[in-house]
Amino acid sequence: MEKVCVLGAGSTKYGKLDDSIVDIALQASVSAIESAGIEPKEIQAGYISNVFGVADKQVHLGPVVMSNLGISEKPSLSIESACGSGSVSFREAFANVAAGFYDAVLVTGVEKVTHTGTEWTTTYFSYCSDFFYEGQAGVSFPGLFASMARAYIHEFNATEEDFARVAVKNHDNGLLNPKAHLRKKITIDDVMNSAVVASPLKLYDCCPFSDGASAVILCSQNFAKEHGGDYIDVIGSGRGGSPAALQGRDHLTTIPSTRLATESAYKMAGITAKDVDFAEVHDCFTIAEVVDTEDLGFFEKGKGIEAVREDQTKLNGQISINPSGGLKSKGHPIGATGVGQVVEVYDQLTGNADERTVKNAKIGLTHNFGATGASCAVHIFQSV
Amino acid sequence: MEKQEFISHAKEGKILAHKCTNCGSLHLATVYFCQKCGKKGFDDIILDGQGTIETYTIMTVPPTGFEKYAPYAWAVMIIDNVDLRISGFLPNIVKPEDLPIGIKAKVSGFDDRGIVLEKL
Repeated sequence: MEKVCVLGAGSTKYGKLDDSIVDIALQASVSAIESAGIEPKEIQAGYISNVFGVADKQVHLGPVVMSNLGISEKPSLSIESACGSGSVSFREAFANVAAGFYDAVLVTGVEKVTHTGTEWTTTYFSYCSDFFYEGQAGVSFPGLFASMARAYIHEFNATEEDFARVAVKNHDNGLLNPKAHLRKKITIDDVMNSAVVASPLKLYDCCPFSDGASAVILCSQNFAKEHGGDYIDVIGSGRGGSPAALQGRDHLTTIPSTRLATESAYKMAGITAKDVDFAEVHDCFTIAEVVDTEDLGFFEKGKGIEAVREDQTKLNGQISINPSGGLKSKGHPIGATGVGQVVEVYDQLTGNADERTVKNAKIGLTHNFGATGASCAVHIFQSV
Repeated sequence: MEKQEFISHAKEGKILAHKCTNCGSLHLATVYFCQKCGKKGFDDIILDGQGTIETYTIMTVPPTGFEKYAPYAWAVMIIDNVDLRISGFLPNIVKPEDLPIGIKAKVSGFDDRGIVLEKL
């Protein structure tokens, strides 16, 4: 297997963007290409992740992106895997470079939904659930995660204030990220007093609907060395699946796909959870970050909430979780999120994270899933 | 085909399950292969749609089509006497006190809200 590196990375700002889905996908792609210091002609394939292109009148984004980069002859793959599309796409790109099919590929994730309004978006997102059992029965994604939150509160004596701390912490980090969607300091009271969306989750427990695009150049180590720019190594890649509906899971406070993806990523990297300096995890809702940090092995089951209470997960705490601000504050353009996490790790490990730098970090991890974790990918990166 | 039969039983308050003829594990009848052993042969088992609420949410920002029902609950229930869960729409729940975890419930029907549950 070839050693695989991230040679360049770029993102648009996340938030409410005026430009079209194609424009923002290209802005991020060009930024990654320039960051890598390569010519588009050196790219051998494109992996373009997106979920709701239909909302901005463009699906089959792969060939459209490649054509506008002047490489219409190069193959591309347009990938949908709900909120995990970006990391699943990254994994396919990784596998193809690792297998030696390509020396350098473009991985771009993009989403453009804010123009459609909350009702449309909530409804369309619910099609990412196991619709026959979930969306059809009137439950939204806030509702599904709220059901996990209630089970967690019941099982581990957590409180709604505990979950609020996750939101406060991620907003503190997002304030330091110029590309974050919600750059605003909030308090526990702000979270507790925000409108209930699906009890026990309130508006400030939820990530926003965001527009945005992120892109990276993934390449073989030989290609990276020949080009001489900053690069980081991809040392672990893991995937997993879960029963698509919550009702099919043995435990409602753990996500099986995260555990499976994590186990294989750590095995490939030859490390354990203790070796990870920081992680970008899938905090679509505050409860999700707590469950993630347990399933990733950073804390024992049921102890993730204590870690939050004790500030262990804040920037430069025991383990920095979501230094970018996470989905909660940085934003969640669903097709882009998994790629955006890699952009953050690249910036952190190449010394470009400015005020939100995780000190002395050598190993960073990304964790991104689709729906309630029905699909998941975990990647581990090391500075060179 | 199985889905239509599953729906017909849910309308009668029953859950159509599949018991694997190879390993005996139980699944909702909408699956085609056994998750545990991978085999295809099943016996149909009709379960009483009664159980215990394990978790739920109260929906106050509903998806399109559910505005007129809000607030309502969506709940996960473990079916009595078997290791099998079902989830569904549960009307007329306004506050957490209305639906303590551990309370008994049953399947009351199936309509354009999918599986409908009712507190016992």
